[in-house]
Amino acid sequence: MSAARDKILARIRTGLGRGTLPRESREALDARLDGTLNPDKPLRPRLPDTPLAALFRERLEAIAGTLQTLHDEAYIPGAVATYHASRQVTGPIAVAPSLQELDWSATGLEPRFGRSHGEELLCVSRAFCAIAETGTLVLLSGPENPTTLNFLPDHHLVVLDAADVLSHIEDAWARIRTRDADWPRTVNLITGPSRTADVEQTIQLGAHGPRSLHVLLINSPRVA
Amino acid sequence: MHTTRSHEFQTRAVEALHDETLRTALGRAKDGFVLKRRLAFDALPEYEQLRDRAVAIKNHTLEHLDHYLERYEQAVIRQGGQVHWAENAEDAQRIVVEICSKAGATSVTKGKSMVGEEMGVNAALEAAGMEVVETDLGEYIIQLAGEPPSHIIAPAVHKTKGQISDLFHEHHAKYGLTKRLTEIPDIVNEARQVLRQKYLDADVGITGANFLIAETGSNIIVTNEGNGDLTNTLPRVHIVTAGIEKVVPTLDDATTLLRLLARSATGQQITSYTTLSTGPRRAGDPDGPAEYHVVLVDNGRSAMLRDEFREMLRCIRCGACMNHCPVYGAIGGHAYGWVYPGPMGSVLTPLTLGLREAKDLPNACTLNGRCAEVCPVRIPLPDLLRTLRHRQFQHQIGTRRARWALGLWSWLARRPGLYHGITRWQARALKWLSGKTGRLKAMPLAGHWFKGGRVLPVPQGETFMDAWRRREKKP
Repeated sequence: MSAARDKILARIRTGLGRGTLPRESREALDARLDGTLNPDKPLRPRLPDTPLAALFRERLEAIAGTLQTLHDEAYIPGAVATYHASRQVTGPIAVAPSLQELDWSATGLEPRFGRSHGEELLCVSRAFCAIAETGTLVLLSGPENPTTLNFLPDHHLVVLDAADVLSHIEDAWARIRTRDADWPRTVNLITGPSRTADVEQTIQLGAHGPRSLHVLLINSPRVA
Repeated sequence: MHTTRSHEFQTRAVEALHDETLRTALGRAKDGFVLKRRLAFDALPEYEQLRDRAVAIKNHTLEHLDHYLERYEQAVIRQGGQVHWAENAEDAQRIVVEICSKAGATSVTKGKSMVGEEMGVNAALEAAGMEVVETDLGEYIIQLAGEPPSHIIAPAVHKTKGQISDLFHEHHAKYGLTKRLTEIPDIVNEARQVLRQKYLDADVGITGANFLIAETGSNIIVTNEGNGDLTNTLPRVHIVTAGIEKVVPTLDDATTLLRLLARSATGQQITSYTTLSTGPRRAGDPDGPAEYHVVLVDNGRSAMLRDEFREMLRCIRCGACMNHCPVYGAIGGHAYGWVYPGPMGSVLTPLTLGLREAKDLPNACTLNGRCAEVCPVRIPLPDLLRTLRHRQFQHQIGTRRARWALGLWSWLARRPGLYHGITRWQARALKWLSGKTGRLKAMPLAGHWFKGGRVLPVPQGETFMDAWRRREKKP
């Protein structure tokens, strides 16, 4: 196997008309890689002069996502129960362990906390952050946030803190880089429900992933 | 490698031109793609600057491709993944089959992957006794039909609803489907139900990669259906197959390309799902694969670095060139005969399979230049196609008659006086032949050329040079 590796790398160098790069060049490239040297700052599309949470909502709704604002995390179980009833969802629901601390006893939902195996038609996860530029939710995998919750249900509900709505895609990378943990196995950028246009270019929601995506935005009123 | 029928281009193009169903399907798709792309870029004033950045990022990466591949490999290994290198399609097949056999796999799900098509990985896995299921709806449809994709992002674009309905009726009886589905939501739902079980049963999931990130050792896939995510999350083993040119240095670099990719392909700002997978599941993770493999495929790419075809390695597989190509729009993707159709395919196919096998492809182009205008990474596709034609001439590929005609034209073009005299006479003769219609449907000695239903607009009795002189004389 490593023979193939050596041959391919040798062929690349022949194609480029040089041997292995000298040490100084490699160091310069590595500095570009780890962000200590970047001659070009990323070119970010200019965004309208709207508050980030409002812009996020506007762009999420433009691609068939929905959003409701809650003033406290304590209201999450109640909002999930209301959604559950209004969409006439049947069967069990699964909730990310990161939301287990909340009081679910009054909802009558009896959620499972953990991953999904596909039996649940409704799952609730927590977003790491969101991107106003594109109306995108950013979810990280881990013991507290199983990836299966994002793709197996018909209805995907995502809890998002209003303070975590960032401006551009690059801001989300920066926040993941500086978090106090290893790089996660999976980073999901989710922008609206699942869709396909593979039959006669007609857009149809709910191809393989969730048919609907609903955001519970936690916006606690500031104490002056 | 995926079998090729590129040498049959002329016959298959004529067949396609007479296929009414195909024309209906293509006509519907084309306008949609073109309009959606234009609206998306109208709303992005930074478009041209982003293209410049994208070109710079890709060129920088290609100039240091060896280094970034090594850094990428190190990062994957650091995260617990394994990297395999494949010089060609056969090696890549063998590596994938070995990983699957070692995992004791009986069932494999696949996300849409063009390099997977290039490798012909499905046939190899089936020959090893495994069930392979394509999970992208378009790919699933053409898998049922036993056909290759006809478009790089919309593989079943050539199929009408009626044809898809027939396919499901025929192949889903074993899953209990009795009635014929006529509505699009029902068709999509039927595929969702059947494929859901396939995801859950699969031992191995294979996806492609839109980008490989040297900074983190991640692969990125962009999808709308969520099939790629079910494929890379549920099975015990995740295999990524990717061409070596897919690597970029950082996530910020990939972001610039992402902003162009979805808009160029489908007119979206970003696809529904953009997913980074990095190594296998971590300790304590409740889901995700236990093994993570990347197969880096060369298959002719390293050889493209040495000359002007290096520019082709910037391609991010958005499909905009084929959506804007009048030839693709008329004949669809299958006539091109291999994996990649349209302008980008007409460059890649001869470079991968040889100028002789794909001799018609560089010539199936009017050099109108629309593909280069819309290419987000500014690949000069018409120039590359012209270079391929030049090489064909040098290598004496093509009919003797065509070569003789080219030789004659070249002799004439170098004698301006004679050239203008003859073209002046030709313009008048063509006008006379076309009568009042201004178009030709037949011509003496060229009956064969018009057989495919071609119509030739003709000059209006005056050459460009004459018209120019006449206007100059007017004050």
